[in-house]
Amino acid sequence: MKPMDERNRKGAWALLPWAIPCTFLFSWCMVSAAGLVPRYLLPDPLHIAGTGYSYIFGTPEAGPYAGRFLNDAGASLLRVGCGFALAVAIGLPLGILSGRLWVFQRLMGTTVNALRAVPGITWLPLALVWFGIGMKTTVFLVALAAFFPIFLNAAAGARQVNPLLLQAGAMMGVRRLRGTFAILLPGAMPNLMTGLRLGLGISWAYLVLGELTGVPNGLGAVIMDARMLGRIDMIVVGIIVIAIIGRVSDQLLQSGMKFCFKSAGRMA
Amino acid sequence: MTPRLKAVPLRRSGVKEKILHIDRLSKGFHTANGYVSVLDNVRFQAEGGELIAILGRSGCGKSTLLKIVGGFIPPGSGKVLLNGSPVRSPGPDRCVIFQEDALFPWLTVQENIAFGLRGQKQDKRSKAHQVERFLGLVGLSEFRDYLPRALSGGMKQRVALARVLILQPQVLLMDEPFASLDAQSREEMQNLLLSLWQELGHTILFVTHDVSEAVILADRILLMDKSPGRIREEIGLNLLRPRERESGALLDFSRRLHQALRD
Ligand SMILES: Nc1ncnc2c1ncn2[C@@H]1O[C@H](COP(=O)(O)OP(=O)(O)OP(=O)(O)O)[C@@H](O)[C@H]1O
Ligand SMILES: [Mg+2]
Repeated sequence: MKPMDERNRKGAWALLPWAIPCTFLFSWCMVSAAGLVPRYLLPDPLHIAGTGYSYIFGTPEAGPYAGRFLNDAGASLLRVGCGFALAVAIGLPLGILSGRLWVFQRLMGTTVNALRAVPGITWLPLALVWFGIGMKTTVFLVALAAFFPIFLNAAAGARQVNPLLLQAGAMMGVRRLRGTFAILLPGAMPNLMTGLRLGLGISWAYLVLGELTGVPNGLGAVIMDARMLGRIDMIVVGIIVIAIIGRVSDQLLQSGMKFCFKSAGRMA
Repeated sequence: MTPRLKAVPLRRSGVKEKILHIDRLSKGFHTANGYVSVLDNVRFQAEGGELIAILGRSGCGKSTLLKIVGGFIPPGSGKVLLNGSPVRSPGPDRCVIFQEDALFPWLTVQENIAFGLRGQKQDKRSKAHQVERFLGLVGLSEFRDYLPRALSGGMKQRVALARVLILQPQVLLMDEPFASLDAQSREEMQNLLLSLWQELGHTILFVTHDVSEAVILADRILLMDKSPGRIREEIGLNLLRPRERESGALLDFSRRLHQALRD
């Protein structure tokens, strides 16, 4: 693991992650310049850049989407944040309990796996009936989708913690509750991290799903709206914005965990 | 016929108190092949500060015995008494050094050693002072910030020693702690263990299948039989310390123990 960390920061290697996006962007420029694809299917990058700029920095008079970015991103972040937090608050403790205690494993295993087999999108009609269009439906979908990876990875992590470590703790006088925080959670940390990252990733997917249903604001709503108005440039901007925010939030999650828990930084 | 080993009576200064009583301990397991008796009527006592080696072939129940004394598994019948009260669960008065690596991989050497002090009511200064002392005792001061994965096997066992000795256990239970080390480091660790033992004065039950290790370390050797595991013989080693590894008396003992193990 160590050499990988070191390589991450060194000179030319720092550029490596950009190789694919840059190549892609370059080919796109070439294709557009050569006129190989009609503009109504794929606008050229400069046009997209212009739309993006006005979406983020423009004033409302400049056009239908100008300057909406903060509002949309804020609304989406709030929904993802609430849904993801809910999934963590429920999925993490339940997952750990079911990984450690046979009763919980028996109690929840079947149900969770049956529910997991239901594609998240199936819940959409029901959620619309229950919660109507907007915040609640989206949060519900996000929380539901993020719950499974978080729960399952927490359970697997808790189950796999080296029993010797728990024994060592017990003989050093660590009681159950403290042992949970001092040994069980750090010991399960790699799995917990995986679950959280997968959960956050899927949160963004279900955010867009929830927002496609006709809410007035949010990144998913903008994309859907742009489709109806035939603003393909705006769709592409929406996709790029979500990609960037998704990547940044994953990075923030990792750094945040490493900052808060030694084990997150030292065992990953 | 088993050649009897001559049991040498112990000669220690003063009268030591017996602190650990292992009383008619039996243990078996239900397995696929039915009930298997692993320990049968094991009984012995240990005085405060005594170093007892438990010597036996692989599978004779040494680890099982140690786990029962440690409180990790309950005895089938019989009991373990420490200072007169029965042992029911693991606790810092009886610490174990496991054969495998059981350090917390997310904590540095220093943090591993300090782990057991976390719950104790002491001020920070005195905790830090103790950690410093034990880092020094096991010779790892320079490696305090290393994570366990960056340590050699011998260094890991030093950390394991320090992190339990800092809790001042009355009894130290060691389950073939140096078995996976090379001969050189094993000798170093044995010497380290002896010097720590002489400085700290705890009682040690040291499980091993290595005759020369038992002979260099122990005040008394309990020789175990296999299936079911029971104590065949108690041999007192009334030899001066520090012991010379190549001395005639030791080699003599070793030869006889080897012989006894073979039958
Ligand atoms: N939990 C268990 N269930 C069933 N059988 C067990 C269990 N624990 C130990 N045994 C059996 O008890 C016997 C003694 O095991 P133990 O680990 O105590 O031996 P040992 O003397 O420590 O051997 P080694 O020197 O190889 O470590 C073995 O035959 C083993 O199969
Ligand atoms: Mg063993």
